[in-house]
Amino acid sequence: MINFMTNNATYVVLATALILWAGIAVYLQRVDARLRELEQRIER
Amino acid sequence: MKFALMLGGTLLGVFLGFFPGPFGRPKPLWWRILAISCVAATTILGLLPPIGGSMTDAVIQGRADSTKSVPVYIRAQPSKAVEDEHGTVLIPATDARASNVRVMLRAFAPVAQELRAAGDETAVIVSVRRAESDLVFQADAVVAVDPLITLPYIIGLEERARIIFFHVPMSWVAVIAYLIAMIFAVRFLRTRDLQHDDMSMAAASVGTLYTILATVTGAVWAKFNWGSFWNWDPRQTSIFILLLVYAAYFLLRNSIDDPERRARLSAAYSIVAFVTVPFLIFILPRLLPGLHPGSSDDSNAGPLLSPRSDAINPTKQLLFGLSLFSFTLMYFWLMNLRVRVARVLRRVNALPEKS
Repeated sequence: MINFMTNNATYVVLATALILWAGIAVYLQRVDARLRELEQRIER
Repeated sequence: MKFALMLGGTLLGVFLGFFPGPFGRPKPLWWRILAISCVAATTILGLLPPIGGSMTDAVIQGRADSTKSVPVYIRAQPSKAVEDEHGTVLIPATDARASNVRVMLRAFAPVAQELRAAGDETAVIVSVRRAESDLVFQADAVVAVDPLITLPYIIGLEERARIIFFHVPMSWVAVIAYLIAMIFAVRFLRTRDLQHDDMSMAAASVGTLYTILATVTGAVWAKFNWGSFWNWDPRQTSIFILLLVYAAYFLLRNSIDDPERRARLSAAYSIVAFVTVPFLIFILPRLLPGLHPGSSDDSNAGPLLSPRSDAINPTKQLLFGLSLFSFTLMYFWLMNLRVRVARVLRRVNALPEKS
């Protein structure tokens, strides 16, 4: 894996772009969880 | 020009971020489509265009390490080629950006065939290695024929230079986020309106997400550029301190239950914390020697501030402006969601409990 990415440096940058997307997805997931909790409290 | 594009991308993003109307409203459909398509365009345009260096790059790289191929942007004249007795072909070529720079490409039959298929005077990107002199280069492969746009070649960074479109906007937008958090903290202390506290908290929250992403993407890049994920480079140390400063902000918030008191204390903390941000991101890492581009012992000021025109060409300036714009929009979208959730939470807390 490390070897492959050393020889194909564009994939290093692709990996960083994917990390950004993953980070934003995790953040959205957390906002979603807060919202779900709120919805449940309003239901009750 | 490049500063105009960088500043323009950011300012347009901030303007559109607060547009239209009161920030707590949902963003309209056109706004969300714009944000998504800009980030998609940044991702594609950041990864796809080929890197095409100049012959000067190939000469400098070749003198340092003649086994390394450099993609150069040239125009070849395969019709004027001469073949020697070993089956190698000598093809005259000129630098596509500076036609007075003439060199000879030494190619084996398959590469020569590809260059003939491209035709005379067509701009091509060929990966070359310096042969016995600065005028003769071994052509290893044709990378692209007549590319629409090219990115500059930076010695030592090469393909990894593309990270500028993903990693740099993260920390820059984080600075804007912390600035917005500070502004709304001041507004809260003036008006004591808890809506400003929501804004301040949401801005710092997404700002911290961006700081973490800048750190992680930087660490992955460092593994391949410097050899290890983390080596306490001044840049890494300063962003680590920045993360600690804002981790303390959220610890402070979570430790106080009374909303009024929490807002007051965290607003005061947020203002003091912001004072450190420009030092930790823009000043300290530039004063100290380090490995990060733009450190004090770097041969230039880093690709962005370098006075050398070949460090960042117009295409790269434009793409960098676009990437600043799109990640600023993305930031405002996330912050908008976070603010709305915080506001609904306060309303629900204020409702009388149904049993």
